[in-house]
Amino acid sequence: MAATDGAARAANALQALSSAALLLPGILAPAHVRAQDAPVEEFSFQFDHFEEGRRDLIDVRSDLDPIQVDVVHGSLNAILSDRLNLRLNYAQDSWSGATPFTTAPLAANGNRAILRDTPNGVIQSGASPYANNRVLLDSARRPYVSALGGPDTRVVHILSSASPEIRQQGDLSFAYEWQDAGLEVGAGVSDEPDFYSRFGNAALRFDFRQKTTTLKFGVAYTDNDIHAILDSDVVPYLTRNAYADRITRRDGEEILGAGSHEWTWHAGVTQVLNRQSLMDFSVGWTQSRGFLASPYKATAVLFVDPMLAQAAGATGLVAGDMRVLMEQRPDTREQWAFSSRYVHYVEALDAALHLNYQFASDSWGMRANTFVAQWVQPLGAWTLTPRLRYYSQNAVSFYTPYMVSEQAYRRVSFEDGEPIIQNFDPALLPRYFSSDHRLAGFGGVSGSLTLSRELTRGLSFEASVESYKRDSSLQLDGSGSGAYADMDFTVVSAGVKLDFAGARTRAERRDRESMTAQGEHDHSGMSMPMSAGAHEHGLPPGLMFAHTLPRAGDVMMAYHYQSMLQSGAMIDAHGRVSDADIVSEACLPEACRYVPREMSMRMHMLDLMYAPTDRLTLMLMPQLMSMEMHFRELDGRPPVTPGEHEHANSGGHRSGGFGDTVVAAIAKLPFSAGGQWHAGLGLSLPTGKVDLELRRMFKTDGGLMHFDMQTGSGTWDLLPSVTYTGMGAHLNWGAQWSAIARLGGRNDSGYRLGNQQQLNGWLSYPVSHALSLTLRSTYTWRGKVEGDFNAYSARLGPMDFPFNQGGRLLEAGIGASYTIPATSLGGSQLSLEWVAPVHDAPYGVQLARKPVLNASWQYHF
Amino acid sequence: MKAKGAVSLLFVLLLSCLSACTTVQPWERGVLAKPQMGLEANPMQSRMRTHVYSSREAAGDVNFSGGGGGCGCY
Repeated sequence: MAATDGAARAANALQALSSAALLLPGILAPAHVRAQDAPVEEFSFQFDHFEEGRRDLIDVRSDLDPIQVDVVHGSLNAILSDRLNLRLNYAQDSWSGATPFTTAPLAANGNRAILRDTPNGVIQSGASPYANNRVLLDSARRPYVSALGGPDTRVVHILSSASPEIRQQGDLSFAYEWQDAGLEVGAGVSDEPDFYSRFGNAALRFDFRQKTTTLKFGVAYTDNDIHAILDSDVVPYLTRNAYADRITRRDGEEILGAGSHEWTWHAGVTQVLNRQSLMDFSVGWTQSRGFLASPYKATAVLFVDPMLAQAAGATGLVAGDMRVLMEQRPDTREQWAFSSRYVHYVEALDAALHLNYQFASDSWGMRANTFVAQWVQPLGAWTLTPRLRYYSQNAVSFYTPYMVSEQAYRRVSFEDGEPIIQNFDPALLPRYFSSDHRLAGFGGVSGSLTLSRELTRGLSFEASVESYKRDSSLQLDGSGSGAYADMDFTVVSAGVKLDFAGARTRAERRDRESMTAQGEHDHSGMSMPMSAGAHEHGLPPGLMFAHTLPRAGDVMMAYHYQSMLQSGAMIDAHGRVSDADIVSEACLPEACRYVPREMSMRMHMLDLMYAPTDRLTLMLMPQLMSMEMHFRELDGRPPVTPGEHEHANSGGHRSGGFGDTVVAAIAKLPFSAGGQWHAGLGLSLPTGKVDLELRRMFKTDGGLMHFDMQTGSGTWDLLPSVTYTGMGAHLNWGAQWSAIARLGGRNDSGYRLGNQQQLNGWLSYPVSHALSLTLRSTYTWRGKVEGDFNAYSARLGPMDFPFNQGGRLLEAGIGASYTIPATSLGGSQLSLEWVAPVHDAPYGVQLARKPVLNASWQYHF
Repeated sequence: MKAKGAVSLLFVLLLSCLSACTTVQPWERGVLAKPQMGLEANPMQSRMRTHVYSSREAAGDVNFSGGGGGCGCY
């Protein structure tokens, strides 16, 4: 008992001492700032997937896929000096799916069923927006349905599919720390095809009362450029007079150009209340000016011609002429927000309760309340965090599901035999109106569960799932805008975080253990500590499966980036191919109409390696892809079929999302033969997609997207490899054979990508201990695609035919690897490689390949 | 007017905090330094959450950070 008390006292004293040490001038953070908020060297990488449930269209079953978003987010915190910190963030979203563009009375039949002939008969395979219709209205101007013999006031969303799009965001900030203050200044850009945003921000922090009180001030500025391609399926029905001066036409498409900017100011205070609790308050003010409407949202207006209304009989029934008008929002918005947080430690469970309340209001009449309760419970090495959130907002003053206007949309009269067209008077409509469901009144509840765990010293893993339900009846005062906008979504996240200080401690401890063990068993006196990265130093960065980790228990975290471009001429195995030959031969039995003029692919891959034994290393490699293809119309192509849209729009095609995930094992072989031999076996799991489709445009389906724009193979693939590496006094060298063998039959879209074999040979010259240069030669053989799309594809050109896939390619590359010295991010390795095609002999006709850029960052501990 | 109200509110809260709270000496802050006591319990999730809420709620983008996030037009 006495011993236990003594141990407890010693532990308390140690905790007090370490807490006091944390607060020494210069290194101390405010008391409420825990380890991960304080300046630490850290790298994190996270994947997220957002998916909405299907919308209820009441009388039509839509098979349009709901919105899905795949996100990758990488973040790096680096300490540049004792007081200066650098933060870098990069995020990429890829999304596709259908979303509401307006709401309308159900009686208007806005979601037209798309019927298709199939071998099994006619099926309903989707819903097409159709927002120009006649609706019978009663004398109270309620939609009247003759079959019901009365009014039907139900409203429904009209959906429109969005084409796959990509957004990228990069930002950086510098943070400087004084003894009782901090300053952070940052800037960034967010880029998507229709929305380009630049932003900058600054935040100041002052600590008082031995850092138990912190005051925070911040300002941010955002400037947005909008270039929205209006939805071609909606444009024929869309009244866009209000924006006529902003809309330009290009290649049959209408593009709305506009801009907006935004200032945000905020101030806050964090206060330690006692040894176990703290509070935080913030107020924020945001002013937005410019084009604040959504170019993809519209409001349905039922125009009632007074002449018809007067002529209505005793029933009072009159036909309303339904039209959709682009929404009109005020060009200024001021938002106020107040946020409060309370964090309390629950000693009995070693857990923390977090409560958060937020209130927001804006000059559009919106008021929103948010309540969040979160319980952070450490359980051994795990931390479990359940979280509940309730959100409620009332509708903005100009929200309306649809409007009725007592005037004719268009009246044609004749004067002296000449037609005179009189359009509706916009002054008789409200100045502002929107049917965007996000501005309606509703409530939302969500629950999430986050699991995190330190896998090993310095490396932690976090996974989370959140389920959200929006329901109009959940609005605080129960006056929600209607069940038609109810929806739900799910977000799943998984990520890893590398803490460099922890990882370095682990590596140093392992080096010491290793030296001690070698000292005991190896009396030769030749033992050497393993410096991180030394064994993989000098390998070309584009090469996979080429090394193992040297010791059992070793971990490596890496990020790989690849950028690939094809552009210029269309070639076959003998060289350039003329347009005439492409038209007549490359799309048999049809005639080609387009060729790609540029195709780009970017890949972000996380690479986690772990060595369970000295000879075996396991790998996990999830990845996110994004692709973009632009077209050129072929000379001499067959004429366009009247009324048919060809889907080769000027904006090009984009796709993206998670690619296939590779798990692999690499073994060090038990013989040397003049160097080191490794054998690897990987399995590629089909987590990517093979059913990405071009969106329906101008009432014409695009069908399955090009083979190269699908993010996965759709098959389980084996990835064997054998690698040899040799080391000389001044030069290192190596060779590798690797392959991709597609297992099983064809994928769900009816085809199977060709198998692949690759031979690599390289030389590596260490210029110094930190820098080495590499030369690499690569020969790749890719088989043709077997089978073909089993569903409709627009087949614009050669890239949509299986016989124009695969080929032989000889490439040469030059690269450099640099090991960062033992300062900021010390011991991690940066590599760049540029690989150019030397001889490109594709099967069929393909777009010429340009050099590939490989970049990687890796850290071994 | 609203600005004045908000700033006054902040000061009242600050003063009430300062009068209510006890002085916590540096060596008494072991609990406050625990990971579960951080203001952001899961910093990796916060950014994604802000982005998701802002694309589906009118006030979801009210945050006290520095812009970005894109259109959220979907």
